[in-house]
Formats: sequence, C-alpha cells, structure tokens
Amino acid sequence: MTAILRLESRKLLRGTLTLTGLLVLLSAFFLVVFPSIQEEAALFEEIYPEYMLELLGIEELHTIEGFLGGYIFPFVWILLAGIYFAYVSAGLISRDVRTRRMDLTLSNPVSRESVVVQKIAALWVPLVALNVGMFAALLAGVVLLGESIDPVSLTMVHALGVPYLLVCAGIGIVFSVVFDRVETAQAAALGLVFVCWLVDGLSHMNPDFEWVGDLTPSRYYDPTAILVHEEYALGDAGILLAGFLVLLGVAILVFTRRDI
Amino acid sequence: MCAQTETLDTEPDRGAAPIRLDGLTKRYGDVTANDAVSFDVGAGEIFGYLGPNGAGKTTTIRLLLGLIKPTSGSAEVLGADIRDRRALTDVKADIGYLPDSLGFEERLTGRQVLDYFARMRGDERREELLELFRPPLDKRVETYSHGNKRMLGIVQTFMHDPDLVILDEPTSGLDPLKQDRMHLFLEEERDAGKTVFFSSHVLSEVQRVCDRVGIIRDGALVALEGVDDLLERSGKDVRVQLAAPVDEERFATAEMIDVEAVDRTVRFTYTGEPAALLDHLVQFEIEDVDIGDPQLDEIFKHYYGNDAEE
Repeated sequence: MTAILRLESRKLLRGTLTLTGLLVLLSAFFLVVFPSIQEEAALFEEIYPEYMLELLGIEELHTIEGFLGGYIFPFVWILLAGIYFAYVSAGLISRDVRTRRMDLTLSNPVSRESVVVQKIAALWVPLVALNVGMFAALLAGVVLLGESIDPVSLTMVHALGVPYLLVCAGIGIVFSVVFDRVETAQAAALGLVFVCWLVDGLSHMNPDFEWVGDLTPSRYYDPTAILVHEEYALGDAGILLAGFLVLLGVAILVFTRRDI
Repeated sequence: MCAQTETLDTEPDRGAAPIRLDGLTKRYGDVTANDAVSFDVGAGEIFGYLGPNGAGKTTTIRLLLGLIKPTSGSAEVLGADIRDRRALTDVKADIGYLPDSLGFEERLTGRQVLDYFARMRGDERREELLELFRPPLDKRVETYSHGNKRMLGIVQTFMHDPDLVILDEPTSGLDPLKQDRMHLFLEEERDAGKTVFFSSHVLSEVQRVCDRVGIIRDGALVALEGVDDLLERSGKDVRVQLAAPVDEERFATAEMIDVEAVDRTVRFTYTGEPAALLDHLVQFEIEDVDIGDPQLDEIFKHYYGNDAEE
C-alpha cells in the first residue's frame, strides 16, 4: 500500500524545488560575503571574550568551517528548513480533513496509522532534495572561494541535520491531527519551531536558564562542532530520532481516536 | 429523551444483512445528529435513505465508514463492527463510497485520480464504467464542472466492483439524462446482486430507484417501509387554477388533505387514485392543473407528524 506515499511525494515536488532553490540561493549570498567579513571576523573574535563566542555557537568565524557552522547552518538549516518541515507536515492531515479528502481516503482499505506514516514518509522528497542541493551548492561555493573543506564533515553536518528536521516534521504532524483548521495547525507548528530556535539561542545567555534550552531540538544538533571540531554527536542524533518517533506515535494515537 | 425507533422489517437471515444499525446514536454536545437509529439493509436491495438536508443522513454514512465514532449503539457493515477499526478497514476493499462533497486532489487529472484509487483497491471495471460516465480524464479535476466531478466519483465508486456501495446524494449536479443513466445503472447493479445504500433528499428519485426506504428527520428514523407503501401514502401535490372562485366545501373531497383556497387557486395534497381526481376536476371550469411530487417536509407533516417529536 504505497498509493498515498506516491501521491504525497508527487505533491511535495513543486514546493521542494522552490525551497531548495531559495535556500541554495540564500547560501550563495552568504558565501559571497564571506571574504569581506573574514577579516572583520578575526577582529570580532579578538574583541569578544572566548566564552561569549562559544555560547553563541560562533567559533573560528574566519575559517570557512566556522562560517558555515556559525552562520549558514543555524539560519538556513535549523531555522528556515526546520520551519518548512513543520509547516508542510502541519498541513498533511489537517488539510485533507478540512477538504473532506480524508473521507474518500479512509473509504479505502487503508488504516489511519498507514495514512499518517505514508504522509510523513513522503517527506523523503524535501529531505533528499535539500541535502543534495545544499551539499552541492556549498561544496561548489567553497571551491569557488578558493577554500577547502573536509567532505566527510560536510556530509556529516547534512546527515546529522536530518533527525533535527524530522523532529520539526513531528511537531507539525502532531498539530496537524490536533487542530481542525489548516491555518491554525501550520501557524502553531511554525511558531513553535521558531520559538524553540529562539529559546535555544537565548538560554545560552543565562546559565540559570540553560536547562530550558535542553528541551529544544536544535540543542541536539551543533553544526559548528561537526564542521570545526569534527565531533559527530551520534547520541544527540539518536535523541532527536527518538523524539521524532515519540511525536509520530502521539500523532498516530490522536488521529486513530478522533472523529474526522 | 430519545425517540426509541423500533427495528422494523427484520431480514429473515440477519447474518446476511450487509448493513445493520442497532440503536446508532451520535451526539455533538446538545445536538443529536443520529438518535438511536436501527434498521437493516438486505443483500441485493437498493435502500433509500431519505430526509431533508441536515436530517443526519451524512452522519449515519460517516458512522458506517468509521470516520466518526458512535456515542452509543453500534452497526455492522459487511459483517464488521464499525467500532472494530481493523475489521472495518479490511471490509472496505468491498465497499464503494460516493460522498456528497467530493474531495479529489484538484491538481491531478481525472485519470490520475482513478489511478490513485486503483492502487488502493483495484479497477477491474474502470473501462466499462467510463463508457457510461465520461468525465474528461485528461483534464485536471480543478477544471471540472460539478457534473463531471460527480461522474468521476461514480466511476471511482464502482470500478473495483464492490459488494456494497454507499451513495450520498449521488445524482446532485448531474443533468437529467445522466441521472436517468445513473438510475438505470443502479437497477442493473442491484439485479447483479450488489447492495446499494442510497441517501437522498429527493423523494421522486428515491421512489424511482429504491426498493425500500428509511426516512430520517432530526436524526431519528421516522419510517421504514417499502417504496410502494410510501408512494401510496405520500400522495401528490396538486395546484388547480380555476376560471372562477369556487366554494371550498363543494370542491374538496375526502382524499384531499390540507386544502388551501386563495381566490381562484386551490392547493391540496391528493391521496387517492389519479383517475378519480381527474374525474372530479372535470366538473369544474379549469384553467390550469399542476400535479407534482410533494415536498418531503409536507410528507413528514402529513404522515409522520408529531410521532417523531415524542
């Protein structure tokens, strides 16, 4: 039974291409300004105390690894791509329920569990496109700038970002089965991912509240550590994957019990 | 507080009934959308589910398909308890469903929509159906007229050759020719052994194609009877335009109900034989006569009246 997976994958194609194009373009803009801020970055690092930079997740900003990990990934991947995944998955169920498309879908011999799983599985389309597109664009950009980057750590920073995006999708799918209105589900999912990103950043500022940041998904994905120090936190990725599975389980639990 | 509708017309072999409702109730807060509805639909019959808009027809259908859960009571569809999700999912391979509002993927072409459903439950009768009902398959659904969408829906409903079809206002949006084709098609399917659950608010349509009728009003089943009985009891809506005002006493007969005379126009519901009515009318100087099906609401008022309120 893959009819729903096929249909949803096809539906995600257009949006995925647009998103990948936009994010690649945005990354290209970042890379273009890299040479000019490279010098300032060195100055920046001298002025600010070490702990401050570390807390902001900014290290070695004058190197291409530090720049990618401190600027491009937090913004393009963690914030924008995270919001996209939350937003899209928040519409997966709620829109079908709203338009009564779900009535027809569920008149087929397909379980509600299967509907949710197939819909989420269709996110392979943006996951693959975004990874391939960003990897190629960043590699090409780095080479064009006359810099070099370890392809392994560049691969890892993409790969370990996947569980993070899945958690964002998990947040979206939970809202998608809870809320009746598509707009509400999408706004709530988008808003929560944004707030998490903000809380994670702000919680660094105050040691008393640092524990709050532990509740945010972006705490378990550190592009700077991966790119600059080649630290591949597989345990953290495991936590994110487990979080995604829990969210998916909650969504299925809610969806199989509710009226549509 | 609920009207307890007794189970009428019990099928001789209860195990064979493709649809069986037993005190099926659905409440939304204070609103009772289905109130202890009980009836059976026998194998190989076209069962009409008749009621005005908002009476609770679609609620019953959505309960039967497991889209919503009953507040109390239960039902069986093709032997599967609707509260048993797994069993219900399994029997859906043998069910065709035509919803009142068709939620198709708008960006797909008609052909792609049918491919999508074919992957889930087969399409052995697709070509045969497309000779009867011809939506423009290569166009996107978003460009479809209401009638084309309905035809696509009909093909979708029947193409996997289900044992039971559940139709919710199936002919709405179809032109009269296509409606006739649909009615004829349903009769052929019934004769081939299919069971049809036909929900409609159009009395004449139900009268024409259905074998038995359940009438629902305000969520409660108010009548369950053969179509011939319903026809007999429902009478005709008659409007007579006379050349001159007439004395109501002289004009009215025992078969006329709710006679209203305004100036030269007389309206009434006629429950007797048509020939007798015409015999009666020729005694007067008539300018125009209009005989039609009564409105559902009228039927309720006349025949089921206050019984359902108790």
